Amino acid sequence: MKFPFTPTSLLQQGPHIRILISATRLEVDEGRAIGLEFPELPVRALIDTGASLTIINPQIAATCKLRQTGRQKINAVGGEAGEYPEYASAIAFPGSELPSLDTTRVVACPIIRQPFFACLIGRDIMRKWLFKYDGRSGEIEILV
Amino acid sequence: MATEEKVLQKELMVFEQHKREWLQTHLGDFVVIADETVAGFYRDYESAFKAGLSRFGIRASFLVKQVWAEEPVYLIH
Repeated sequence: MKFPFTPTSLLQQGPHIRILISATRLEVDEGRAIGLEFPELPVRALIDTGASLTIINPQIAATCKLRQTGRQKINAVGGEAGEYPEYASAIAFPGSELPSLDTTRVVACPIIRQPFFACLIGRDIMRKWLFKYDGRSGEIEILV
Repeated sequence: MATEEKVLQKELMVFEQHKREWLQTHLGDFVVIADETVAGFYRDYESAFKAGLSRFGIRASFLVKQVWAEEPVYLIH
């Protein structure tokens, strides 16, 4: 699946894609059966080879009613080291052929300060992909 | 509502109490714990989460934690 940018936008913004974050598919299905609603949130995500894990803005966890399953120690450049809550989530890639991740963990960490991105897709998700970055043409490609 | 720091505190204590034993038998596996009940060990997070949800239900809290000798520190650049 190819995602076209311009060389300049790829340089300035980095490789990013639109994703949908929600509670896991099982929770959404089971919740619906008993009248519980789990919102799905569209956000822009930076594909970040420098991130070991996938990180979300903490507000997303609250909005989507994600279930906390633990805590993770994070050390971010800039000094934001500490323990942060880990949640179970589902991530879909609307408008693309990339298969959804029905159950994947994310860590809520306020290191994402830019308004442009609310999620960093880390190497835990990238390990499922072949990722091509062409800075000359301004195109990225993700193969599963 | 429990504060973020107190969520899963009891489960984390259970993990610490058993960690030395589990390092011998389940190194690298994901354990599922709710309250003081250990629900099992799984090869990956997804399987562990699904097992926890199946066993404890949609309204219960449960911990999913990988068994490591040293807690990994994940880097974000």
